[in-house]
This record gives sequence, structure tokens and C-alpha cells, in this order.
Amino acid sequence: MTDSRIDYYAAKKHAHDHGDHGDHDHSHDDHAPVAGEDEGPPSEFAIMSRAMQEILEAKGVITAEQVTRRMEQFEEDFPYRGSRVVARAWTDPEFRKRLLDDGKAACTEMGVDLEADRLIAVENTPEVHNMIVCTLCSCYPRALLGMPPTWYKSRSYRSRVVFEPRAVLKEFGTELPDNVTVRVHDSNADMRYVVIPMRPQGTEGWSEDRLADILTRDTLVGVTVPRVRT
Amino acid sequence: MTMAGAKAKLEAPNGVDEMAEKHPNRGPQDIGGRKAGPVDVVDHGMKFWERQANALRSTLSGKGIVKRDELRRAAEDLRDYSKLQYFEITTSALRTLMIEKGYMTEQELKAKMDEVRARFDVPDEMESPLKQKAAQP
Amino acid sequence: MSAAGGETGSAQSRPSTYTPAPGHRYEVGDAVRVKRRYPPGHRRTPHYIRGKVGTVERICGAFPNPEELAYGFDGEPKKVLYRVRFVQKEVWPRYRGPARDLIEMEIFEHWLEPAGDTGGRT
Repeated sequence: MTDSRIDYYAAKKHAHDHGDHGDHDHSHDDHAPVAGEDEGPPSEFAIMSRAMQEILEAKGVITAEQVTRRMEQFEEDFPYRGSRVVARAWTDPEFRKRLLDDGKAACTEMGVDLEADRLIAVENTPEVHNMIVCTLCSCYPRALLGMPPTWYKSRSYRSRVVFEPRAVLKEFGTELPDNVTVRVHDSNADMRYVVIPMRPQGTEGWSEDRLADILTRDTLVGVTVPRVRT
Repeated sequence: MTMAGAKAKLEAPNGVDEMAEKHPNRGPQDIGGRKAGPVDVVDHGMKFWERQANALRSTLSGKGIVKRDELRRAAEDLRDYSKLQYFEITTSALRTLMIEKGYMTEQELKAKMDEVRARFDVPDEMESPLKQKAAQP
Repeated sequence: MSAAGGETGSAQSRPSTYTPAPGHRYEVGDAVRVKRRYPPGHRRTPHYIRGKVGTVERICGAFPNPEELAYGFDGEPKKVLYRVRFVQKEVWPRYRGPARDLIEMEIFEHWLEPAGDTGGRT
């Protein structure tokens, strides 16, 4: 535990927690992230990162505000975009077609700036289920979905999805019959991917907001399918 | 587990071609198809320092100071790649590039790290654990 | 789906996933083999796909070469990037899922050769 002295980490974390709203309803199957606590003394890498940042700030290469602003974007902005975009595709067939045709252009239409990400949307059908991975690092459409979950970055996910996707899906509680094609996408170069899941029965007449609620991050990466909860 | 046993665990179970599988130029990041255990399907989120480290990386990348491809290359070249966690890799790769590109020297970074570490009274690895214990009230 | 090409100039003033790929060598539907080469250094062609045969699924455009960008060069001239579709059972001899399962990824043109070629061994 950090002690009572003025502690950079504690002060920053305090300010951050008070700004954190966490009002997004994570679905059950999304395994909402366990709050990342900085317990105990900082690791060598935490110290290294902090030291690099301070040196660069002192040299005028970056400012603390720039880094803080970026943190806020990753926390408060990016993670909520994907659900909205795909919910629109569910309700608007012409938009869906444009999203499939050119993911980045379609997002721009909705005022979603994907920055450097080049998005390819892939659609699930009764015949095809799509699943995303990056075996070489952890490429992910961050400007659309926020930061990837820890499992996406794990060695197990990265190595196994490409050769045993169905076994990995099963670990997420997703089972697909053999007459459905599993189509794995390894994001190994310039493109980034998002899955357009199939819209489940029982969602007729739902608003985009309500639809976005069941389009959880996990469904957009393709490890689970959207569920209607009563 | 012996070294040979540990290595055997990394072989792909799928009969892929031996040359690709075991080639000396295959980097530690090139793990598609390698044998691995079950996926921990819980998202453990990010610690504060990791979020800040990510934002630092992203800020530098956005300014064109480091390129994404340079970060990847620096990561892949890390001797300890296979032993490090994701943000430890990111941070180490960033360190490589900051020094490579002349934004800081190793000495500068070490000095600043010593300064940062001192704020938290984190004992350095030279200090005896017995001494630390004795110093506690 | 091949969305590259189209008008020059104005196409890039509007954000798009794709960029033009003038002079691209392969078309959608072409059978291509990933070169079975193992050079050192930063590559974005996974080892598990080298030597495998697939079909061009779409042309993504032309992008600076990551193999050069990684070392501080500008990556010019750009290289054409394709999405290539492979059948899982043809990638992994002991793939346990159904024969219909697929795997797709992006491969740069200089890593591809026509599938009809016998392909070199290096």
C-alpha cells in the first residue's frame, strides 16, 4: 500500500476515480473489467514509463495534458462507439451496406473519427460466424472499441484462435454447429476489424440505444453472440 | 520441467511444416499456431500506470515521434519478450526507441527512474530485505 | 470485395478504409501462394501461413512497407496489400473443425506469387 506522503500515483488515481462514471451497462457475458488497482509499490516498468514521460515533458516533447486527454479518450469515448455504429447497421439496411463496403467512410458519416484505423466490417449470417485476432501483437480497432481486453492480448488467445477457433469459442461459452463456417481474421497488417453480429429475435422495434446495449465488446470481436435478457 | 520438456510444449500440435515451425528467424511474437493453455476469459482491465503508459505511447505515435511499426519491431527485438506482460513490452519497446532516436540517454533514464523510485521509497534490488525490515517502525 | 482504385485525388479527401492500388498484380479470386521464405527482421507475414495457397478476397490498397517503416525508413514505394482467404484444413494438416472453416489475413504483394508457380525454396 502507498503511504500517506504526497504520492503521484495516489493523487492521479484519486482524481481519475472521481471522474470515472462507469455508467455503461456491461452485459453479463462481457466480464466487465476488474477495476485496475495499483496496489503496492510501482513495478519497474511503471517507474520506467513514468520516468520517460517526465523526461519528455521536461524537454517539451509532450505535455502532461496531452497524455491525460488521451487517457480520457481511451476511457470515456472510444469504448462506446462500436456498439452505436453496429446498432445503426442493424436498424438501417442502407447504412449496413455502406459499413460493409467501407468501414471507415461509414463511421465518418456518423461522426466517428477512427483516426489511423482502417476498418473492415464483417457480417455474421446463419452460415458464417466471424472471429477476430491479431497473432503477431494485439492489433485492434482501438478508436472504435477502446483498448482490447486482457484475453485478446494473451498468448493463449493469439496462438490458438487461428488453429482451434471453435475450442476457444467454447471457452467463451459459444458453440456453433458444424454447418456454420467459422471465419477467422488475423489482423496482421493495416486493416482493423469489427464483427456485425446477427440481430437476435425478440429485438423488433427496439431503439438504437437499446440495441447498442446488447452489442457488447465481446460480440463485436466475435467471441460471443448478442443475447436478449428479460 | 526440463528445458527440453518446456520447448516441446511450444511445438504446434497441428503438423505444420517443420521449417516454418522451428525456423531460427521466427520471432518470439510469431505465435499463431503455437500450443497454449486455456484462455483466461475474464477481462482484467488495465491498471492506472498501464492506461497512462498506453496514453504516452499513443501521444508519441500521434505526433509521429514513434511509428507503430517501429514499436512492433522494438518489441519483437526484446530479449525478454516471452517473459513480459503486454504493457511491460510496450514500455520496454518505447524505451528502446527513445534512446535510439536520441530523446534521452540510458543514463538520463536511469537517473530519472532512480528519482521516481525514491518518491515511493521502493527499495532497490541492492538493499537487503533484512535491512528494510529492520527499518520498519 | 475489391474497393481499391476508383477516382484518384478526390477519393482520398474523404476518409476511406481503402487506398488506390494502381498497377496491382493480382485480382480478386486469383489463387496465390504465400512465399515460403524466412528472412530475418520485422515481417507481418506470420510463419504459419508461409507456403500456403489461398484466394485473393479483396484488394486493400497500397501502403508504405511496414518492413521498412519498422527501421525508420519511409516505406516508399508503397506495396499493394491484399486480403487472402485460406481453407483451415489446408493451413493446418490436423485442423479439427469442419472443412468449410476459413482463415483470412492481409498479405503484401511482394510476399505472394501465383499459385501455379512451383515456388522457390530458400
